[in-house]
Amino acid sequence: MSVLQVQDLKKTYGKIQALKGVSFEIPKGAVFGILGPNGSGKTTMLSIILDVLNADSGTYSWFGKPASPDLRKHIGSLLETPNFYHYLSAKNNLKITNSISGRGDKAAIDSVLQKVKLYERRNSRFSTYSLGMKQRLAIAAALLGDPQILVLDEPTNGLDPVGIMEIRELIIDLSKKGHTIIMASHLLDEVEKVCTHVAILKLGTLVTSGSVEDVLVDEDVVEIGAADIEQLKRALSNYPGITSTTHNAQTMQLHFPKGTASAEEVNRYCFNQGIALQYLAIKKKRLEEKFFELTGN
Amino acid sequence: MLHLFRTEWLKIKNYPGFWWIMAITVLSYPGINGMFYTIYKQQTANTKSAAQMLKMLIGNPFEFPEVFRTTAFASSMFVIIPAILVIMLITNEYTYKTNRQNVIDGWSRNEFLIAKFLNVVIISVIVIALYLLVTLSIGFSTTGADVKNKFQLANYTALFSLQTFAQLSFAFLLGLLIKRAFIALGVFIFYKIIVENIAAELLNKYVHADTGRFLPTESSDMLTPVPAFLGRLDPKVYDHALGLINQQVFITIGYLFIFWGLVFWIYKKRDL
Repeated sequence: MSVLQVQDLKKTYGKIQALKGVSFEIPKGAVFGILGPNGSGKTTMLSIILDVLNADSGTYSWFGKPASPDLRKHIGSLLETPNFYHYLSAKNNLKITNSISGRGDKAAIDSVLQKVKLYERRNSRFSTYSLGMKQRLAIAAALLGDPQILVLDEPTNGLDPVGIMEIRELIIDLSKKGHTIIMASHLLDEVEKVCTHVAILKLGTLVTSGSVEDVLVDEDVVEIGAADIEQLKRALSNYPGITSTTHNAQTMQLHFPKGTASAEEVNRYCFNQGIALQYLAIKKKRLEEKFFELTGN
Repeated sequence: MLHLFRTEWLKIKNYPGFWWIMAITVLSYPGINGMFYTIYKQQTANTKSAAQMLKMLIGNPFEFPEVFRTTAFASSMFVIIPAILVIMLITNEYTYKTNRQNVIDGWSRNEFLIAKFLNVVIISVIVIALYLLVTLSIGFSTTGADVKNKFQLANYTALFSLQTFAQLSFAFLLGLLIKRAFIALGVFIFYKIIVENIAAELLNKYVHADTGRFLPTESSDMLTPVPAFLGRLDPKVYDHALGLINQQVFITIGYLFIFWGLVFWIYKKRDL
């Protein structure tokens, strides 16, 4: 079952077309990463599905139902920057979140403040917080009342390495409990570590979307190494089934169509050619590599 | 409705800026009316013939029933102070981007505006309560038991209420449009005091003698005319102004629908 369905969303700012007909679905329980360079339309899209921006055309639905304020009350969201009343404390700001959304109660407010390590500063004004603390409070507000869906736009912004690791662990933990998390991020490494699904946007167009496995793996790459790399290159130049080869000083990469590579056969072939391999591995493309390839950066 | 009120209360309960301006508002209405009353008392207390002639000429504008009109007129000049509160409450939401967070957290855009509408109503009610408190205090302390029809001009309470609510609604519309507190307040003051007075004069002179009264804040300004003793300077004009009040009520109500209609329409169409 889809938690969110987005159909042909379009949005323009004057002459700039921020979204050019984006469509995708987010399955229940997914950790859905939305990637894209600056200005690709990530925040615009999240803003539309949270009703702070009006789309020019297109539709979206949560759980198959048209979006409504009542549905939004059950979604914990952090959009762009932490938005709180500067003159109020963390606790009083979360009381407002609770009053509007109905999520959580007094005990839940204390609990989320403890979770994001702001409990000791719960009575300090928001204006006295550092950037990282503001971000933690925004995450606390999103987590209030344990919503089943979280929309997090750059959740690790302003956090130190420990904070980033804590958020990563939190997302993995929530995912294990069955929460659906929609996350926009620039940190490809983070997305690769926590996301089950990914969508990549470029200049308002959806370049690709699907499970991380499907998006990353579009070919098989077998990497091999031997004492004499030139002999290896000669022996494998006509290896059956390869689409291309690449190499560097120590290793050679054999590219196969997706699902056709066999490390065992490559090893046997080399052995029969009188070459003893020193190194053999099936390589998976990294998200960073794929991202640059798709976005042309 | 109650949960909207509760949420707005949570926003202002611990907001020192709000309470400072509220304190200034609470002090300014009794303060300014009390000052006028003190000046009047001092000037007419003198036993010299000039002072007694002045008293005879202007009567006692602080006695019932005239006090209703006098304090309504004097108080109406200070709508700028509660307007600061109204502008602050809407522009703060833009400054902190909490207007969008409120919607993200589950309010509809209309709910956000209804909550703000409640703010304007409550601030208006506080101002009206202050007006009544001042009027009744001064009236009862200056009026002799022999005066009949003490509440003959009590309708000025309703007129002052309508004027206050209309002008604070206009301030709210400017705050929503401009989004920045100081600019919105500056525009409100500049428009109300300078632009509209000049525009009204020009319209009256070049278009039609009665056109100026249709302008957005001039229409409600005419609900509380000057006290009767000032009207004696030009009785014909004064009687005409008094005669127009009923029409101005309808024009002001019309503007109220326009102000709030625009507020809801703009907010629905606008990206947050």
